[in-house]
Amino acid sequence: MLWLHLLVNGLVWGCALGMVAVSFSLVFATTKIFHVAHAAVYGLGGYLAWSALKHGMPEWAALLVGIVACAITGTLIQKLLYERLDRRGATHLVILIASLGLSAVMQNAVAAVYTSNVLQFGLPWAARTTAIGGVLLTTAQMLTVVAGILSYLGAMWFAHRTVLGKRMRAVASNPFLAEITRLQPRQVHIAVMAIASAMVAIPGVLVPLDLGLQPFGGVPILLTATIAMIAGGVGSISGAFLVAVGIAVLQNLSLLVIPGEWSIGITFGIFVIFMLFRPRGLFAG
Amino acid sequence: MLRISAFALAMALALPAWAQPIRLGAVLPLTGPAAVVGTQEQRGIQFAVDEVNAKGGIGGHLIEVQFEDNQAKPDQSVLLFNKLVDLVKVPVVFTGYSGPTLAMAPLATRKKTLLVNGGAQADALDKASPYLINTIPVLAGELEVLADYLFGDASKKTAAVLYENNAAGIAGRDDFVASYTKAGGKVLAQEPVQFGDTNYRPALLKLGATNPDVLFVIITSGTPQLADQVRQVDAKYMVAGNTFFSDPELIANPNAEGFTHTQVLINAPDGMAAAFKAKFGTEFDFFPKQYYNATTIVLSCIEHLVKAGKPITGEALRTALLEIKTFKGITTTVFNTNTAATQINMNRLTNKTDTIIKVIPPK
Repeated sequence: MLWLHLLVNGLVWGCALGMVAVSFSLVFATTKIFHVAHAAVYGLGGYLAWSALKHGMPEWAALLVGIVACAITGTLIQKLLYERLDRRGATHLVILIASLGLSAVMQNAVAAVYTSNVLQFGLPWAARTTAIGGVLLTTAQMLTVVAGILSYLGAMWFAHRTVLGKRMRAVASNPFLAEITRLQPRQVHIAVMAIASAMVAIPGVLVPLDLGLQPFGGVPILLTATIAMIAGGVGSISGAFLVAVGIAVLQNLSLLVIPGEWSIGITFGIFVIFMLFRPRGLFAG
Repeated sequence: MLRISAFALAMALALPAWAQPIRLGAVLPLTGPAAVVGTQEQRGIQFAVDEVNAKGGIGGHLIEVQFEDNQAKPDQSVLLFNKLVDLVKVPVVFTGYSGPTLAMAPLATRKKTLLVNGGAQADALDKASPYLINTIPVLAGELEVLADYLFGDASKKTAAVLYENNAAGIAGRDDFVASYTKAGGKVLAQEPVQFGDTNYRPALLKLGATNPDVLFVIITSGTPQLADQVRQVDAKYMVAGNTFFSDPELIANPNAEGFTHTQVLINAPDGMAAAFKAKFGTEFDFFPKQYYNATTIVLSCIEHLVKAGKPITGEALRTALLEIKTFKGITTTVFNTNTAATQINMNRLTNKTDTIIKVIPPK
């Protein structure tokens, strides 16, 4: 039964990773910005929700605070940093470096305010376990799965069924054409950044609910999510989500046959080989 | 006139020496995942220095410490060590964490600068440099005590090992496996976790599947999350560790009930702990105590040299330390080699308190 436990653990972790990958994919596909500061936004959501909770807000309101604050942060990042740099003719490399810098500033500011201690939400209901098919899952883990699936479906609906989603895809597909057809790419960029930042706040709160808050906790998650996005096919929401789940499941199941220190290396090695044969990603159009 | 000039010259030579502060260095993780420990270590050093300065310093010299942030990264540590020694000209550099300390050790030998470690315990630190002074015993001695206790007193015949994949974790794993096997126990499996990663479930599930009597854990952070996840996976085994389990958050966690660990002895009077808390707003726990102790040892050596009228160099400090040998600070620390020997206790977490269950005097 070890394989079943590992499989379920991988699926749970994959759902969290999938939300980060999908949100990052929305930003990258639309703006072409490698938004490294997304890791810091992820972390910020959790810390703000934690603060709200410690100030006596109910759990749902604390989650909402995290989501709204991240949406505002994302909007400000796009408006005050990326858009300004873009207007001044900065290359993508310069914007990437600016994003890296912003990420470091945000994460260190969080560490300065909240300390680098691993903070806990300390909600007994989140750690309560329920047996499903012989596998014990915490409430936080179950919420992560539900939120992951709903976020994925929501992102698909948004991209394919809403006017803004269609504008986003148009801008992602051909920014120049979008500009001359008055689709206002800059406004679309801001809206996408707000939506993606709100989305990344969800795992930003749910994962620390289970594993604790760390100021630099978003970096390794974003790294894996980035690989999922590229391997899934840039611009493909399904690709980003499914490959993220696949990576997490593979990392967990690989423990059945290899020691843990090889798990990450071998998992990503498989993806490197895979990319050699399908460089545009699994779900590329 | 000549007499006045000679007097003025003598004063000029003497006075600045009295007025000048003695500057020490410290390379510690002040940001990043290890900062929780690093900042506590910093406070321990500062607390000891402030105490001495409040009494007028040593022989009229105030003590200053220049703190540098290495984020627990070995490469960054080397740069900062060079900066402190070559530019600031410090004779002593305080350090923590095994990886960074091992990276700086060869430089300490080459530059004859005293490197003082009050918290890292990898075995390699013992012989890394004649200029590296470890004021805390290395892991091998501590884990030998743990292995003997688990196999003998606790009758745990099989073990699994969860270790942090860095210098301290790997050294701890190897020491425990060697000592436990020597005691007669059998190690069934071992799994690593990355530093800062608090998702222990995959490793716990895999290790739990081997049905060990005891799980030996050597991780430097995230122990409260470990306790939660051990309970969530419905583990039946005993959980054992070393001094790293003396984390106040772990002790307060009800899921850590029954966790057993070794504890390098370090005591402080109640008044001192209260003064520390009043000054820094945090508990005077294991790491600040260790670094307070390490700093008082260094300051004793400086005082020894100042009284003898000798220059304060890394080489002179090392010689003084090995000459003085026994330091009766907040805990008695004996240097038969460049690594200290102290008492080790066996503790168990019970009802949110860390209770001594056995005392093992130094060998």
